[in-house]
Amino acid sequence: MLFSVYPRALALFYRSVLPLTGLLSAIIVGADRVSAGLLGTPWPPPLSAGLVLLKLSTFPLAAYLLRRMRPHQYGFYRNLHLAPWQLWAFVAVLDTGLFGGLMTMLHLLFA
Amino acid sequence: MPTLGFAPSAGLAHVLEADGIQLRFGNRVLLSDVYLRVDTGQIVGLLGRNGCGKSTLLQTVFGARSVADASVRLNGRRVVPAYRRPGLLNYLPQAPLLPPGLSVAAAARLLGVDATAALHDFPELLTQLNQSAGSLSGGTARLVEVLLLLHADTHFTLLDEPFTGVMPVHTEALADTMRRVKSRKGLLLTDHRYEEVLALCDAVYLLHDGRLELLADPQTGLRDRGYLR
Repeated sequence: MLFSVYPRALALFYRSVLPLTGLLSAIIVGADRVSAGLLGTPWPPPLSAGLVLLKLSTFPLAAYLLRRMRPHQYGFYRNLHLAPWQLWAFVAVLDTGLFGGLMTMLHLLFA
Repeated sequence: MPTLGFAPSAGLAHVLEADGIQLRFGNRVLLSDVYLRVDTGQIVGLLGRNGCGKSTLLQTVFGARSVADASVRLNGRRVVPAYRRPGLLNYLPQAPLLPPGLSVAAAARLLGVDATAALHDFPELLTQLNQSAGSLSGGTARLVEVLLLLHADTHFTLLDEPFTGVMPVHTEALADTMRRVKSRKGLLLTDHRYEEVLALCDAVYLLHDGRLELLADPQTGLRDRGYLR
């Protein structure tokens, strides 16, 4: 029973943080687009380790901001036996994967 | 993922104990010399003035707040953080528990609770099963949260101000539900409605100046200390 609950709980948490992580992804893509224009390099670039690291570095900021905005958000998930680090580990893996997929798709379509 | 092994077993007595909890904010000692015990089949009250550390103590027992040297034990076996052990305990914080976009029915499914059975004594709540938690009034949301946690399959339930915002007409029915539920689990609750808590509890602790004291005679003990008239 428990293991059928976890995917739904993780998906619920991901939906709740998606607006912020999506915004941070958009800022990364926008900044990359501007810098490519200034440097005259081709855009969209292929997915690189630097881009992935940049995306990963946004999660501590997202966790901090959400802790300030919704300090009680973990209570429900703790009642499902999920610790905050487990929730964020899932979000980091899924969101980075989606970001990587989006950047690769943009590169294949427009580069 | 959490380890398994604490699935509730009906009929077996369990003991939840907490001690070694010391906490200070600056020069102010919030918790010291704390020993707390809850048995299944018992309702235990935790009373004290505003800001004396009741919520902090419940958070520490649940595991939501990490305190060095805190020891929380089930039947003598250390379980820290306790919330990671399925079937051991659940906790209602003072703040709203359910995510606002989640329907009551979906929340019940995630918590492994039969929503219809949990809300059976409050027929008006059954009509709101498909409403999102965020659209319920504060008192109704509180009542739903308490009922879902009480009916979840855990050995213990910790409730921080379960009667807050609940309509007076529902308070007695909720107290009756707690009395029924305690046959299979232990309840630890804190609330400012001392009369309701005293009528409900089998044991009462008073948190005062960071120290937790088990009151032998709660009515007299609270009156002597100026908590009751």
